[in-house]
Amino acid sequence: MLDRFRFVPIRLLQSIPVVIGVTIVVFFMVHLLPGNPALTILGQTATPERVAALNTQLGLDKPLWTQYFIFVGRLFHGDLGTSLTYQRPVFDLVAQAVPITLSLLAYALVLSLAISVPLAALAATAPGRVRDGLVRVFTLLGQGMPQFWVGIMLILLLSVKLGAFPVGGYGQTPAEHPYYLFLPALTLAIAMSPTTIRSLRASTINVLGADYVGTARSKGAAGVSLFRGHVLRNAAIPTVSIIGVNLGYLVGGSLVIEKVFAIPGLGSLMINAIFARDFPTIQAVALFVALFVIAVGILTDVVYTLIDPRVDLSSKERA
Amino acid sequence: MTTAAVATATRAMRRPARSRSLKAWYRNGTLVAGMVIVGLLVLAAVFAPLITHYDPIKQDLQNALLSPSADHWLGTDKYGRDVYTRLVYGARVDLRIGFLAVLIPFVVGSVAGALAGYFGGWGDTIVMRIVDVFFAFPFYVLVIVLVFVFGSGEKSIYLAIAAVSWVAYAKIMRGELLVAKKQDYVVAARLGGMSHGRILVRHIAPNVMSQALIYAMSDIVLDILAIVTLGYLGLGIAPPTAEWGSMILDGQEFITTFWLQATIPGLAVVVTSLGLSLLGDGLSDLLSPERRK
Amino acid sequence: MTRATRIRSVGVAAVAALALTACGGGSSSDSGAAGGTPTEGGDLTIARQADILSMDKTTTFDNSSIYVMEQIMEPLFMVSQDGTKVEPWLATDYTISDDKLTYTIKLRDDVKFTNGNPMTAADVKFSIDEDTKTGADGWGFINAAIDSVEATDDSTVTIKLKYAWAPLLADLSLFSNGIIPENYGGLTSEQFYEAPVGTGPFVWGEWKQGQYVKVTKNPDYWGDGPHLDSVTWTVVPDANTRKLQLQGGQIDIDEFPDWSGFGTLKDTPGITATAFPSTRLDYLAFNQLRTPFEDVHVRRAIAYALDREAMVKSVLFGNGQAADSLLSPGTPYYAKNPDAPQLDLDKAKQELAQSSQPNGFSTSILINAGDPNQVSVAQIIQSQLKELGIDVKINSLDATAVRAARNAQDFDMIILGWTMDIPDPDEWTSFAVDPEGGSHSAYTSYNNPEVIAINKQAQAETDDAKRADLYKQLQEKVADDAFAAYLYYSPYAYAMSDKVSGFEVTPLGNYHLEDVSKSE
Repeated sequence: MLDRFRFVPIRLLQSIPVVIGVTIVVFFMVHLLPGNPALTILGQTATPERVAALNTQLGLDKPLWTQYFIFVGRLFHGDLGTSLTYQRPVFDLVAQAVPITLSLLAYALVLSLAISVPLAALAATAPGRVRDGLVRVFTLLGQGMPQFWVGIMLILLLSVKLGAFPVGGYGQTPAEHPYYLFLPALTLAIAMSPTTIRSLRASTINVLGADYVGTARSKGAAGVSLFRGHVLRNAAIPTVSIIGVNLGYLVGGSLVIEKVFAIPGLGSLMINAIFARDFPTIQAVALFVALFVIAVGILTDVVYTLIDPRVDLSSKERA
Repeated sequence: MTTAAVATATRAMRRPARSRSLKAWYRNGTLVAGMVIVGLLVLAAVFAPLITHYDPIKQDLQNALLSPSADHWLGTDKYGRDVYTRLVYGARVDLRIGFLAVLIPFVVGSVAGALAGYFGGWGDTIVMRIVDVFFAFPFYVLVIVLVFVFGSGEKSIYLAIAAVSWVAYAKIMRGELLVAKKQDYVVAARLGGMSHGRILVRHIAPNVMSQALIYAMSDIVLDILAIVTLGYLGLGIAPPTAEWGSMILDGQEFITTFWLQATIPGLAVVVTSLGLSLLGDGLSDLLSPERRK
Repeated sequence: MTRATRIRSVGVAAVAALALTACGGGSSSDSGAAGGTPTEGGDLTIARQADILSMDKTTTFDNSSIYVMEQIMEPLFMVSQDGTKVEPWLATDYTISDDKLTYTIKLRDDVKFTNGNPMTAADVKFSIDEDTKTGADGWGFINAAIDSVEATDDSTVTIKLKYAWAPLLADLSLFSNGIIPENYGGLTSEQFYEAPVGTGPFVWGEWKQGQYVKVTKNPDYWGDGPHLDSVTWTVVPDANTRKLQLQGGQIDIDEFPDWSGFGTLKDTPGITATAFPSTRLDYLAFNQLRTPFEDVHVRRAIAYALDREAMVKSVLFGNGQAADSLLSPGTPYYAKNPDAPQLDLDKAKQELAQSSQPNGFSTSILINAGDPNQVSVAQIIQSQLKELGIDVKINSLDATAVRAARNAQDFDMIILGWTMDIPDPDEWTSFAVDPEGGSHSAYTSYNNPEVIAINKQAQAETDDAKRADLYKQLQEKVADDAFAAYLYYSPYAYAMSDKVSGFEVTPLGNYHLEDVSKSE
């Protein structure tokens, strides 16, 4: 059994070049700014002292590769630089924002499953029929709606018209968070559902046609218990990978959604930093998010192996 | 399986699993519906000045925030501009940028992926590692940061989208090539002494392009959503140009009083995406029916 | 470089100002506790666009930070509620020597810092000296006339001046001269301002950057109040969200709601929307270091091309008035100026024809992306200048970046705002028209020797009528030079739940939260 997880250390090793690549991309972002980055950040007639100070802070006064190694060296010490807006370690700002964004993502994931599983089941049990068609319309619309606009529409309907939910913010006590985060999480869930539904629907149709379902049926299992006991578990296997990929997409979406709902997570941090030209903060958020996506990728593979006894990633040639 | 590989799998599964044999294109309902919607939008964009006689940019502050009427079908915005007119002109901007933005990544990504897949070896490894790195950044994170770095404006949007989305084409084309290069006709051509270039261009390209083309349809949707999102964040096309995202941003201020202003441009995006998705689905029915499960 | 920073970054979403009219502002804010005793307890939540940046009173220039620090650290004198004079606060009274060079100030003897130590003259000396030391890097320039501060005894402070300087008490009322424990209570200044200690009605609580800052009740406050247990300022950049949060009861006070939503807020039962009189002027500054703004005809052309009435209507939704002078109507010696440039497209075209750019040109305008009013004003300016053949690109940055670019004069045109901090026009005129004033004439590099001379004369003049006449001349000349295009005067907009009582804003923008209470 444990043998099947031999791939984990290998998988970790293989993500090292990707992580290095990510740090290179994040590092070079500042060098894509036109002209002298320190000058651009500070403005044309910034005082020479301030430019020099920022150059030192960003390490811009050294050869490129030296700069990069200094950058990475600092990363190892958790030093992401100092926010130009707040004059505080960026690490603190990111650390404050991360739990908020992660809880939003987790919430969205739960809601998206709550939407996707029943809809996919409805569609898969009657392929080609009206309800299948309706679900397809939902997935097409869900994919084509700008996420932030869905958020605004939910605010309009559920907050402004019905007064059922707060229009924004995160709440101040842990008890308030789920209530405040409901609409933003729902927004993300709606954005995430279409792909999940499609995948679940397709795999459910496959599973429903499989032998063991017929066997279960002949043994008298039917309806919800058949679905839960036999179909869902097997249909979920390919869907796990898709959810993993989507989570990365979801992180990007959540950045924008946070702005719509005024949630003080990574997204608000990054968007505000963009308008503040607060480069260290922008870099830190981009870096964190990319590392998060890589970690989710690995985690997805682990979960995949856990729930599917047939998978042995360690023996498979990697694509 | 890497996450990127899963991404390709996701895309493959996105298409509904209805089986359908190759029919004449006009009997393909999905394709026709998509073409009609997209066609109408393109016509509206191109002939905008014929559809409405208002100027999308000129302000008329005395007639700001009017409710819908016979003169102004969707009312006016806070600067007294006709909302319907801005909607129509907005189609010009969003469709144009959406369509143009796929060109560079389509070409660059397809070529890189094809070469990597065909020749394999070190080149393949390097290209794929770069692809993995880019896949690690969520689409919006990289697009937003790059647009900021390049400075706002249309050119930056093209550059940012190109930098981010070429990797998907590379991934798809590489996968296609891995299969195609083992096909009998390619092996035969190699044995016949044909050069790699000729084989790639004359024999493989026509057979493998369809997947990239189909993906391009959904990519246009992604790009339009990105442009609208950038506009909403105030990082996209600068005012006063009519653009759906910035219209939603402007309209959000009046959500309790003139809720149409934030709603309508969003609906325009939804209709556009729907048309393009149908077009993409229809196209995939037409081009690669054998791939349908 | 001395006064560069004197302007309090009004830029931050600040919507603000005008003193003279009734402002059509809505009912007064003390609806809840009218006549009754204030409710004790409760937590007040104020939502605002921008986060605080620092609690260092000597080097901080943004209103968001200032309004918070004023609840923690208090000055010797306080601007009166009507914003026209100063009154003793931590001081009890004072005497001025005949040569007007020595001020002897008596301190209250019942004041304690929130660390438990009593406030003494040594603390006052330390506090004022620390501010003076910051010089050009902080608010030190405001103390430029001070020669020395001495603790005569525990409750007496003697301030000696280098030269006679009437606004001294006004200067001492500035938050930068707020009183803190001597030697920062043994900390470094950085450590101290992480969690500042003062004599104020509230005690520093916690700050989560980008989220909120919280202060809690000082139970041993020397004065009346405070009634509230705590006050939290939450950061909600989007004005629309703030408005909806107020309507939904999530917050108690909406700092600077959009004028577009102001009417709706006023009509909402349970909510009071008030336009407090202010001294605010919004203006379009031209950077004369950049072509073609050194050309007076270009500047005048733009000043004549702007439709201020339309801005008042569509940006302020009628809550304000078109500006016609450098000074706002709430500032002493304001002189109505019928000749100041107002919309006149023919004159604008004539001026442009005489200028170095008769056929128009391309330029840019720098705005604060988070300020919906600036976003709107910029688009209106863009549209109106198009009539003259001037193409304007709008550059949006956040408040901090705008401030940096402004100080560096890295812009073509910029929308700025000014509110008075002390009740004397000199603070603003010296800042705006005197290149030696430290900000290169409000970041424009405007330099007219004639105007500078008038300003100097007015500083020294003691006769009220003569001073008024000098400031009238100054206002006329500056308008004719069009060193900036004045846009409008606007009040401070606040919207609050009817549960809130006692919330009043002075024309200088400050508020006293010790007077505020919140009913159940």
